[in-house]
Amino acid sequence: MLGQFKYAIQYVLGLDQAGRNFTVFPDDTFLVSYPKSGNTWVRFLLANLIYPNQAVGFANINRLLPAPGVLSKRFLRKLPRPRILKSHETFDVRFRKVIYLVRDPRDVAVSEYHFDLKKRYIAPDVSLEQFVKLFIAGQTCSYGSWWEHVASWTAARQGNPAFLLVRYEDLLADSIGETSKIAEFLGIQCDQERLRTAVERSSADKMRKLEKQQADQWTGTRNTRKDIPFVRAAKSGGWKETLPRSSAEEIEFAWFPLLNFLGYELQNAHLNNTAIPAWVRSGEPL
Amino acid sequence: MIKRLTAALKRAVGLHRPGRSLVILPDDIFLVSFPKSGNTWTRFLLANLTHPEQPATFANIDRLIPDPSATRKRDLDRMPRPRIIKSHECFDPRYPRVIYIVRDPRDVVISQYHYHRKLRKIENDSPLEKFVTRFLAGETCPHGSWGQNVSTWLTTRERDSHFLLLRYEDMVENPSRELAKVVAFLNLSVGSEQIALAVERSSADRMRKLEKDQAELQGLTRGSRKDLSFVRAAASGGWRSELPASLVGRIENAWGPIMQHLGYEVTSQSPSRTGSDESRGILSTSPR
Repeated sequence: MLGQFKYAIQYVLGLDQAGRNFTVFPDDTFLVSYPKSGNTWVRFLLANLIYPNQAVGFANINRLLPAPGVLSKRFLRKLPRPRILKSHETFDVRFRKVIYLVRDPRDVAVSEYHFDLKKRYIAPDVSLEQFVKLFIAGQTCSYGSWWEHVASWTAARQGNPAFLLVRYEDLLADSIGETSKIAEFLGIQCDQERLRTAVERSSADKMRKLEKQQADQWTGTRNTRKDIPFVRAAKSGGWKETLPRSSAEEIEFAWFPLLNFLGYELQNAHLNNTAIPAWVRSGEPL
Repeated sequence: MIKRLTAALKRAVGLHRPGRSLVILPDDIFLVSFPKSGNTWTRFLLANLTHPEQPATFANIDRLIPDPSATRKRDLDRMPRPRIIKSHECFDPRYPRVIYIVRDPRDVVISQYHYHRKLRKIENDSPLEKFVTRFLAGETCPHGSWGQNVSTWLTTRERDSHFLLLRYEDMVENPSRELAKVVAFLNLSVGSEQIALAVERSSADRMRKLEKDQAELQGLTRGSRKDLSFVRAAASGGWRSELPASLVGRIENAWGPIMQHLGYEVTSQSPSRTGSDESRGILSTSPR
């Protein structure tokens, strides 16, 4: 009962956490992805691009590129518009303009495994093989499975001009080129120099240094195991060395239509010959 | 400020309607559809099936098969479990078990057009063409377009054992047969007599009679035009006579592949959009 009244008071003052229930404005842009798909990196890239005169770090990233899940409704309401907000939600019809970041699920699985160990979400003796089975079943996070996440967004929006699909792998391979596409999508005028600076300031090395200094000032890393870093490999294809072949095949077998659609090469070549599903091309105008 | 205080107090004692902030329990069952796809009829069918001791009416349906945007949190918390909850939301990964009802979008658009006239959301003589344009763009309701609502559920869950897809058209043709599928899906110990009774108690005629007496007791109809009824044709295929060919073509052009996947015959020629066999196979490939 006391808890309920505390919540009621927070609600009156607008201090209750926004979570899924904040007001979405029609001019909002959302940076959406399944967890462990490079979302924090892109938040740094965008913050460095938009605020070239500020030192972007873990200590202020929640303020510069806010995550509604961990902020109060009042804070979100008072942000200058148009807002750019981070999100891990599956398809939400209220999100009109979306940058959708996607990453090879075989790498996502490995990354999430280490993150969940760091956060102590899973016991230290859970093996990667065991984890992958839960990962495929969508039981490792509260945003559904990777398939559900990507399928819900692409089915609803792919082809829509207000939907920009960005592959983490492309962003790694050509950071300046892909960041410039995102900048154009956001209507940010910037020259090559500003893009280069933003990419440089958001490099894995810079982020690792910042993590060391500021891990306790950010919701993502506070009270987590310090022997496992948040900014880990920051590369693509790492699964080829770390993921057991059987686990990689389980992921491929479960999700090959989307892997093919997104251009992720499969080990199991006979799953390769599937056409692009019709529904991922049926994005409707807003 | 007074408004916020009242809202906060209601929240503290559970008198508010939770809507999207509904706390979902692991054994919850969701009855989901795009609006105007037979959701209310199915709520009556399920209520009459699971509560034979009290026939469903427009006055008690929000308690029997609650709607989180119309039922108070306190009542939702006090319901016997497992709860069956009504929803029009697009894909939500938190829903543990889902009965999804789909209806031919060419009939849905006509039904929604008349419903919006009834609610005075549009003028009585507002052109159907204008409505179809808004319908295609997902602007006629807050639950996405028909295509978004259907495709986000089908691509994520269609082959999942916790997902049951029902076509409104099949329910109209043989309600007992389709209700038997629900009984199997929910593992209910219910005989064919009880199914027949539920179908009878949820007939369009009975629902029309109840609507006449209880329209003001139900949020779906309260304050709306009484010369138009909520329970309308309760039939399928009305679009063939009511929807002009050009509008049929626009709907089929937008959603041809999904419609074909669902077995809705596409009548117009639109070679670029017709669903191939591959697309059907892929649509039905899902993770679990």
